[in-house]
Amino acid sequence: MNRAAVGSVVASFAVFVIAWKLVVLVGGYPPFILPSPEVVGQRFVRAWADGIIEPHALATLVEIGLGFTVGAGTGLLVGYALARSALVERIISPYVVAAQATPILALAPLLALWFGPGLISKVVICGLIVFFPIAVSTMVGVRSVDRGLLELARSFRATRRQVLTTLEIPGALPSILGGMRVGVTLAVVGAIVGEWAGADRGLGVLVNLARGSLFDIPLMFATLATIAMVGIALYLVVVFAERRLVGVR
Amino acid sequence: MISRPSIRARSAVVIALVGFVVGACGPSSATSSPSASAPIAPSVSGSVAPSSVGPSSVAPGGSPVAASLTVGLGYIASVQFAPFYLAQQAGYYKAEGLTVTFQNKIDPDLVALVGQGSIDLGLSDGTSVIPAVSNAIPIRYLTTIYRQFPSIVFGKASSGIKTAADLKGKKIGIPGKYGSSWIMLQALLASVNLKTDDVTIVEYPDFGQGAAVAQGAVDAATGFVNNEPIQLQRSGTPTFILHVDDVTPLPGPGLIASTATIAAKHDAIGGFVRATLRAMDDIIADPAKGVDASIAVEPTLGQDRALQTAILNATIEAWKASGGNDTLGVIDRTSWQKSLDFMTTLGLVPNPVTIDDLVVEDFVKAS
Repeated sequence: MNRAAVGSVVASFAVFVIAWKLVVLVGGYPPFILPSPEVVGQRFVRAWADGIIEPHALATLVEIGLGFTVGAGTGLLVGYALARSALVERIISPYVVAAQATPILALAPLLALWFGPGLISKVVICGLIVFFPIAVSTMVGVRSVDRGLLELARSFRATRRQVLTTLEIPGALPSILGGMRVGVTLAVVGAIVGEWAGADRGLGVLVNLARGSLFDIPLMFATLATIAMVGIALYLVVVFAERRLVGVR
Repeated sequence: MISRPSIRARSAVVIALVGFVVGACGPSSATSSPSASAPIAPSVSGSVAPSSVGPSSVAPGGSPVAASLTVGLGYIASVQFAPFYLAQQAGYYKAEGLTVTFQNKIDPDLVALVGQGSIDLGLSDGTSVIPAVSNAIPIRYLTTIYRQFPSIVFGKASSGIKTAADLKGKKIGIPGKYGSSWIMLQALLASVNLKTDDVTIVEYPDFGQGAAVAQGAVDAATGFVNNEPIQLQRSGTPTFILHVDDVTPLPGPGLIASTATIAAKHDAIGGFVRATLRAMDDIIADPAKGVDASIAVEPTLGQDRALQTAILNATIEAWKASGGNDTLGVIDRTSWQKSLDFMTTLGLVPNPVTIDDLVVEDFVKAS
């Protein structure tokens, strides 16, 4: 990122903070409704220094990591099968769409009941929400591979593995990584929703604790800021990987 | 107090300035928050505007206008709210010149909404009021509904647990290490010089601790005196119940309001408290009235009338605790002080508060 790009990011953040401060000042909102940015900033620093946020953040990161791995892995396999087999598409696609169309908020309590309030239910919820964008982007990406090149490879008697590694994966990669950008941010949402359905640790739990038990609204905002930062950081990781693998898009 | 037009104008300026709306705050927060920090008016009603004073203001045409109150019960329709239903159906609120609207739903933000002024009155634990006021949410506790702290530790009598000291080394199920049940458990253990490390805590975030007791997965669990133990007893299992009040009195659920609402609707709140306590008296004398009033609000409760009667009877005991009917509503400053001291040791009171910052005793007799 060049100096101008960094400057624009800093400037947009400054505008956001100033707008927030103006809302508080002009609206006259008390801290339990909308704390000012400096109050949230101080609480953010204090909560990290006191070790309040760290264990919850680690728990959420583990859920995101495992959920994304499971969801993305399954999405890649199913997406490839959907792209390459009309029969598979006919059989599976209604379930894939149904899984996406059913609100995860409605499914989450049921999944917590089936898999218990532990890590597994969070991973399943996270995986479910990640699965769809990656499956669809993989399917679209694989189908977009130049048919002429595929026929050329077959004419040279290329093996299925050779076609996969030299044509399909490189050809589908931009689309797959686009799906991963969406999927990784949805993984954060999935982990938080899973924690709200039943958990004893995690950033979603801390939001509820700060809001409904401790009445510490600045802590709630500090936790929300942490969740946003986790989402942004993971998104940037995918963008970085994308640039390394397929260049700037 | 800031007039509505000026607040609307300020809100418009906010929107024009920054170009986005803070959804969570909404118009009601904008109108009420500036006055939320206003001092509480004296208990005489002459210090507030006639339109908001009380139960029987007079409209320009000369006809009396009922004062309106919105009351958040914080949970779905249940027989535990029978006094509110009965007072409404029997016309006790109307007789006080009130039009009362209840919000009968699960509301985790009830305390903040009351503090904000979106809801006039709410039902909340004293143990929630303390950290809320300590975090500058401008609410006060007005009337005790549950003299006995309803959160308890219960289990099968066959576990051999009879006192808090017997909990040492046992497995205890809880929904999570937060809220009134967690505070209660710590107070109960502290009363016999035990800490939470002296027991095995098993968390049930899905609130399955009652089933865990029934299945023998834990030796005891936290619950509510008018819920899980009754279910267990009805299955034919003898149970034990440990009340925290026996060792460390904690203030139970009662009515709360914001300081601004108390100032603006002082007389109306007084009428609401009188009517509700009158209905509690009626139900204590004849619990069937409470069950009928609850079924009228939520007909599905009538499917198991015996269960609802058992729940209401347990609830009535929690209203009265060791006191008689003449102690209904009374705020026990001693239990508030003990609770405040204990919660301070737990680190749940980030900014110092006194009992006078927490309760207003204008509406009930002093204890």
